[in-house]
Amino acid sequence: MKKVLPLLLALTFVLNLAACGKASEPAQSTPQEPPASAPPSETALTPPEDGVFTESTDLYISAAASLTQPMEELRALYNEKAGPNVNIILNFGGSGTLQAQIENGSPADIFFSAATKQMDALTEKGLVDTGTRVDLLKNEIVLIVPAGSELPVSSFEDVATDAVGFIALGETSSVPVGQYAEEVFQTLGIWDDVVVKSVFATDVKQVLSWVESGNADCGVVYKTDAASESGVKAVASAPEGSHKPAVYPVAVLKNAENRAAALHFLKFLQTEEALAVFERYGFTVNK
Amino acid sequence: MDYSPLWISLRTACVATVFSVALGLVAAYYAVRLGRVLKGLVDGILTLPIILPPTVCGYFLLLFFGVSGPGGRLFEALFHERVVFSWYAPIISATVVAFPLFYRTMRGAFEEFDRTLIHSGQTLGLSGAFIFWRVILPNCRPSLVAGTVLAFARALGEFGATIMLAGNIPGKTTTISIAVYSAMAAGQTELAKKWVLIDLAISFAAMLIMNFAGGGARRRDTGVAR
Amino acid sequence: MALDIDIIKRLPGFTLRVRLKAGGEIVGLLGASGSGKSMTLRCIAGIETPDEGVIILNGRPLFDSERKINLPPRRRKTGYLFQSAALFPNMTVEQNILCVLKGKTREEKRRAVEGVLSRMGLEGLGKRYPSELSGGQKQRAALARILVTQPDIIMLDEPFSALDTYLRWQLEQELAAVLRDFTGTSLFVSHNRDEVYRLCDSIAVLSGGQIAASGDKWEIFNNPQSHSACLLTGCKNITPARQTGGLSIAATDWGVTLQAAALPPEPVRYAGIRAHDIAFADSPALPNTFPYELVEEMRDTFSYIFMVRLSPNARPLRLEMSREQYRALGRLPPYVQLPPEKLLLLTRD
Repeated sequence: MKKVLPLLLALTFVLNLAACGKASEPAQSTPQEPPASAPPSETALTPPEDGVFTESTDLYISAAASLTQPMEELRALYNEKAGPNVNIILNFGGSGTLQAQIENGSPADIFFSAATKQMDALTEKGLVDTGTRVDLLKNEIVLIVPAGSELPVSSFEDVATDAVGFIALGETSSVPVGQYAEEVFQTLGIWDDVVVKSVFATDVKQVLSWVESGNADCGVVYKTDAASESGVKAVASAPEGSHKPAVYPVAVLKNAENRAAALHFLKFLQTEEALAVFERYGFTVNK
Repeated sequence: MDYSPLWISLRTACVATVFSVALGLVAAYYAVRLGRVLKGLVDGILTLPIILPPTVCGYFLLLFFGVSGPGGRLFEALFHERVVFSWYAPIISATVVAFPLFYRTMRGAFEEFDRTLIHSGQTLGLSGAFIFWRVILPNCRPSLVAGTVLAFARALGEFGATIMLAGNIPGKTTTISIAVYSAMAAGQTELAKKWVLIDLAISFAAMLIMNFAGGGARRRDTGVAR
Repeated sequence: MALDIDIIKRLPGFTLRVRLKAGGEIVGLLGASGSGKSMTLRCIAGIETPDEGVIILNGRPLFDSERKINLPPRRRKTGYLFQSAALFPNMTVEQNILCVLKGKTREEKRRAVEGVLSRMGLEGLGKRYPSELSGGQKQRAALARILVTQPDIIMLDEPFSALDTYLRWQLEQELAAVLRDFTGTSLFVSHNRDEVYRLCDSIAVLSGGQIAASGDKWEIFNNPQSHSACLLTGCKNITPARQTGGLSIAATDWGVTLQAAALPPEPVRYAGIRAHDIAFADSPALPNTFPYELVEEMRDTFSYIFMVRLSPNARPLRLEMSREQYRALGRLPPYVQLPPEKLLLLTRD
């Protein structure tokens, strides 16, 4: 009996997993036509004209890790304008992880990705309210080293030399800044030399941490990240055209519980005041 | 499919378990003999890795074993190698988080052990080592097995601390847990599921083996000690 | 052969002070629970450490607080039989005994094990595990294990207390045989007076951490000298008392004045008399004869017990007689007599 019980438990797990696999299929076969203009939710709070919400409401935003500082500042700013009733909950992470979470039902109302790949993937699955999508920001890719480093590393090409033992990159399959890094090195023709010394992180903040502590000799992050962390310095920008533009799209999700607040916040993000905050952190507005 | 995470995980979990058991036995044996205050202090420190979130653990490990940390510098001076991102870094982080589980289990068993058995062994002229290996441990078999299972499971499932200290380097430090996470993040759900099933199979096999190893003592059990 | 101990150990509640000398005999340590008997054994074995003092066994100092000697238990050559036998549950009886045999060849070890098993009546049980043995078999196996180590002293800590009554007698006889053959000193700890009397040659009575009496067992039985020794040797009738001139003793709780046969050197503080020493009498001729009030009459398995009061509102005394004696009486005589020579005059607490 003692030996049968773990067997039964394991079997239950396996069956559940198989069931999960089956359950995700229907989501992929939903109709793919994006609605022309998203109809307002039935339980909507009407977006207030004066911009102040009178009832308490939660707003979940899943945003890429590289947006941490500006988003936190903007949250405070928004609450000043729209009143304290909108409780903004920020969830930061690697864009790939956030995408996976949304696919599996995370309660996010807004998705702010660090690359178009993840937003496009969600759109294909019919989870994005495409009418609300705005490709809001652009970011540059830079090579960083620890602040006090004296290594002879001053360009992306130098990464292939023996001067670099370890380079920290975001995971190329799921972290946008990692994807861009790979593109840059591929364009330069040195990816094979670089990948053997790469250590991959699940999000860009991890990359920063490894470089800042000196455990990695260099890393590739966004210009905005390099600026925000005093322990690292950017030594080179990615050459023009070496990677697809790093565009940050933001959109309201189809299953948003709080559509009205989401739309309102999205509008806020596009105001001059909000954009100024982003620019201050090093982002460029995508015109 | 790249199967390196399987070997890396197995290697990491097995070696970490061996270290946890060895260190845990020593620590538990001596901890029991400490005075109350000192025992509480030692306990607290040794149990810390379970209470701390793995990422915090990982952060401390990184601080300690990193290039500018005391452990890291000592290691580099002795072995001319860096701990961070090395192939044995996952073993270190897995040991740190698995050790407390084994230690606490054995400490509990030793505390409750029937002291008269130890005293009778002593008055009969048996050495401390004999008493430990041939009287105490054999009568603590259930706890030994439980502790080892816990340690192995924890070592196998370790993620947060490992990813900080060892990073994600496919073929070198990428364990099954990290592979699952990466696959999920990249939207490769089929790959993720495959790894989960492999992980389950390993855990299940390990548990069967250990239950088998621990269950042979029916005839001798008197419930005297745990 | 010889044991010489003089130790002090401070414990919560009282201080243990034991001074004892013994040479190749069986000494009984008699005392109530918690009086320090087991602690004394543990100090000799080295499991506990006294605060001060000396323990010498066969001329070897095991403990000496002045000279900072404190041998670890495994070097003391003491044999300690625990209440629970303490056999190793994960080993068979044979393995239990084998593991304490050192420095012998395989053949010698095998013979030693066989020899002791048959001597202790455990033939054929060698391959059993302790959980498969009865209580008596466990104790015998544990004793066998001790004997093969050839200790300088055997200490038994209430070895029968975990056994059923009807098994105790058999084990007691076997134990008596073993101890007789043993040339070293034996210490037998118990709170059961009768066992101690049957097995031991001399007795030490422990009360409140001190030796209240020690010496030859019959001497102590006949002349306990202290209240605690008197109680612990089983006397049930004790009263505070004081001398009132000549050989007269006033027995306060009993409400009568008694005549003693002789007076002890120190002032009398208590008086006692054993239950079977009180006699019924038909006439008040003999000294210490009193009329009585019968409070209660009880039948024990083989004897009769009478609770009698010698004076109004006084504490009753307990009188015992065998069934035969009772039948011979026919009816209860009107008096009871406390023979002066049987009076126990106690001078200490």
